Amino acid sequence: MTNSNWTPEILAPAGSLEKLKVSVLYGANAVYLGGQKFGLRQASDNFSAQELREGVQFAHSRGAHVYVVLNSFLHDKDLEELPEFLSLLIELQVDAVIVSDLGVITTIQKHSNLVIHLSTQASCLNIESAKLWKKMGVTRIVLGREVTIKEASLIKKETGLEIEMFVHGSMCMSFSGNCVISNYTQGRDSNRGGCAHSCRFEYSIDFQNGIPSHNEAQKKAFFMSSKDLEGIRMLSEFIEAGIDSLKVEGRNKSHYYAGTVSKVYSEAMRFYKTHGHFLSDDLFKWESELRKISHRDYTSGSLENYADETSIYNERDQEDNEYVVSGVVLEVKESDYLLIEVRSAFYPGETLEIMPFVGEILEHKIPSIQTISGTLIEKSKPGSVVKIDYMAGAEKYNLIRKKIKAMPLEAAL
Amino acid sequence: MKFVTYAENSEQLKKIHKEASSLNIDLNKLEVIVGTNSLSRFSENSFSDLMEMISLNQTLKLPLLLEWDILAQENRFKNSTEELLKLPLHEFIAIRLQDPGAVNFIKSHFPWLKIQLILENGNHNFEGLCRWSDFLGEQLDRLILSNELSREHLVKYSQSLKAKIEVLAFGRILLFYSPRLLLSPLKKSEISENLKAKNLEAYGTSEESPHSGFPLIENAHGTFMFNVKDLSLIEHINELKEMNVEAVRFDLRFDNSLIFLEKFLSHALVKDEVTLGSEIKSKHPRALIKGFYNVNKSDVLFPKLKNSRIQRFDTHYLGEVIDVERDEQITLMIKSEDLCLNIGDSIRLVTPEGKIKISFIKELKNISKENLNKVSRDEICTIPYLSGIVAKTQVYLEQKT
Repeated sequence: MTNSNWTPEILAPAGSLEKLKVSVLYGANAVYLGGQKFGLRQASDNFSAQELREGVQFAHSRGAHVYVVLNSFLHDKDLEELPEFLSLLIELQVDAVIVSDLGVITTIQKHSNLVIHLSTQASCLNIESAKLWKKMGVTRIVLGREVTIKEASLIKKETGLEIEMFVHGSMCMSFSGNCVISNYTQGRDSNRGGCAHSCRFEYSIDFQNGIPSHNEAQKKAFFMSSKDLEGIRMLSEFIEAGIDSLKVEGRNKSHYYAGTVSKVYSEAMRFYKTHGHFLSDDLFKWESELRKISHRDYTSGSLENYADETSIYNERDQEDNEYVVSGVVLEVKESDYLLIEVRSAFYPGETLEIMPFVGEILEHKIPSIQTISGTLIEKSKPGSVVKIDYMAGAEKYNLIRKKIKAMPLEAAL
Repeated sequence: MKFVTYAENSEQLKKIHKEASSLNIDLNKLEVIVGTNSLSRFSENSFSDLMEMISLNQTLKLPLLLEWDILAQENRFKNSTEELLKLPLHEFIAIRLQDPGAVNFIKSHFPWLKIQLILENGNHNFEGLCRWSDFLGEQLDRLILSNELSREHLVKYSQSLKAKIEVLAFGRILLFYSPRLLLSPLKKSEISENLKAKNLEAYGTSEESPHSGFPLIENAHGTFMFNVKDLSLIEHINELKEMNVEAVRFDLRFDNSLIFLEKFLSHALVKDEVTLGSEIKSKHPRALIKGFYNVNKSDVLFPKLKNSRIQRFDTHYLGEVIDVERDEQITLMIKSEDLCLNIGDSIRLVTPEGKIKISFIKELKNISKENLNKVSRDEICTIPYLSGIVAKTQVYLEQKT
């Protein structure tokens, strides 16, 4: 299984059709997405039937797989609506469905031959558990984020199942599927997509039970909030362990996030395919790129050892970003203009960075900005579409970003 | 109906026996859950503590259930199985399991040992419950159902499932289970070695939540958070009996709730005391709720989580307004695979605020201001300005030429 040329699949989030295209174009080997029901992101755009059709065609035409999440803990009435959706998935020839509930697995098996991946929501953590789910008919297991790579390797060897692990993104502090705070405090079923992220709140902790309280009876802390997972330095271990798929969390996150993580991890894999190792200054470049997207402090979670107190993110805000996404290229008219959907304001005279699907960032100093009617403007407005000068190498769906502050080292210099 | 409760030590085992005996309750109507700190989420018992309880029970003859309800990664799972293999499993009438790995292990290694399967986490549909029941077959003693299931579902399941069922009738509602140690980092300097073997308890309150005082426990298995209000279905015990629910569980491990044991035993197994609910309510330290027993509407807020008017509906969908320049033009991106926009068509524009405008297309241009007759998928075009239309307005084909 493991040789110098073999690399795992990079599986990126697709919260919408546009994000699917961005993820695939930036190098993801597969995407996962949800329909309007049955997934765990009710607030995400998700896909209509037609968008799903277009998304599958787009991904398949570029050699990427599409996995559809059906990983809610469905109630009886939800389950009644599932067969109709399954018919669509069969017709579209999606590559697999991601499921956590045994009733859903059973319903799928009664109505289709769809390939079933077990969602991380089922918290499969050990060899015996994987064996049980294999008996139930799943072919791939998305392991709980609490499992180390070494343990994952054992699970793969003992079961012969495909193994998928999270490599990047936000993490639940609880065992996945084992948190119902939203259900009881907000009336929203977290396991049907209504999570209110109560784990990110600040809490006052009042200790009892004979523990001396010293001067502080209460401590304020974001004690249930996890740092974000980053596995870029663990890629060799993933490959050595034969992990089949590396998943990036974040269907609710931006195009910029989806594009950047897809580009960074797929570039890393291309490097490995060529060189058989990751020993390169490029590793610093990849890490640097991952710090340019919105994130909490990074941790390796439980990939190496079980996550300890250093994995707690005891802060409210995410890290200040060094970069901000300025827009997305909508149209390229060669030697004439780039049409940009603006995400954050930029100004004439500024230097923008265009992220090509493959290769180095293109720096583009823009002398002027025009509206579609041709009026020169002093500032681009978020939510609008503007024209800037043509730049060779730019392509439709390229992401454009802008540096908003110096990195600490540069600032010090 | 059986009465299921916990004994955390030998004294509690004796108390349960004594009170059941004083009420002349047939001991076979009782089941007592015991565990160790390496198998159970909240037990503080060492292996030898449990062995002492088992020994004591040689004379008490209470039906004992072994609890193995932790979730465990492979390395920890191995440790659990090592301890389990040392226990005299024949002393238990059944073992209570939640981790599917534990289920597979017991099914493979101890096919004679009855399993009470804890399905309190999810498992909210008949199809899944049947599949679990079929998977375990004769080895299954009982399914322990989620307290998110309403009365309506309990009626259906108790009548239609082959398996017997159990529900929580009184006790804390577990909201959150993390394998990470989240409390001790806040009290690191104050936790002595002695206390590390015990459950660390606290209460959490957030200004961002309308509720305060969430009970918290940390131990070797991780951190647990409970609801601020405890579950009480004591006013519905007769109803549960009539439904044919096999067993009701009274979790009296916390808040000194064991003082209610006699009353609960009497209420569930001897005589229904109509006023018991209000009496317990007045004495219990925290508020009591019925949870989702009457109805579960935890999905009704979902449509409000996003603006449906900026969602795409497939029928007659053309695309989206991506830019509006006042008094100049509206820019559209055609997104439909099947439909295109032609001169002479009529379109329906649905704004994010829900306003609807119909417009006849008499002019179509590209960004370079060249006239077009037709625009297809992924193409961008402009149409004359219309007041009230903003970016993200969804565009549908109203009438074809």
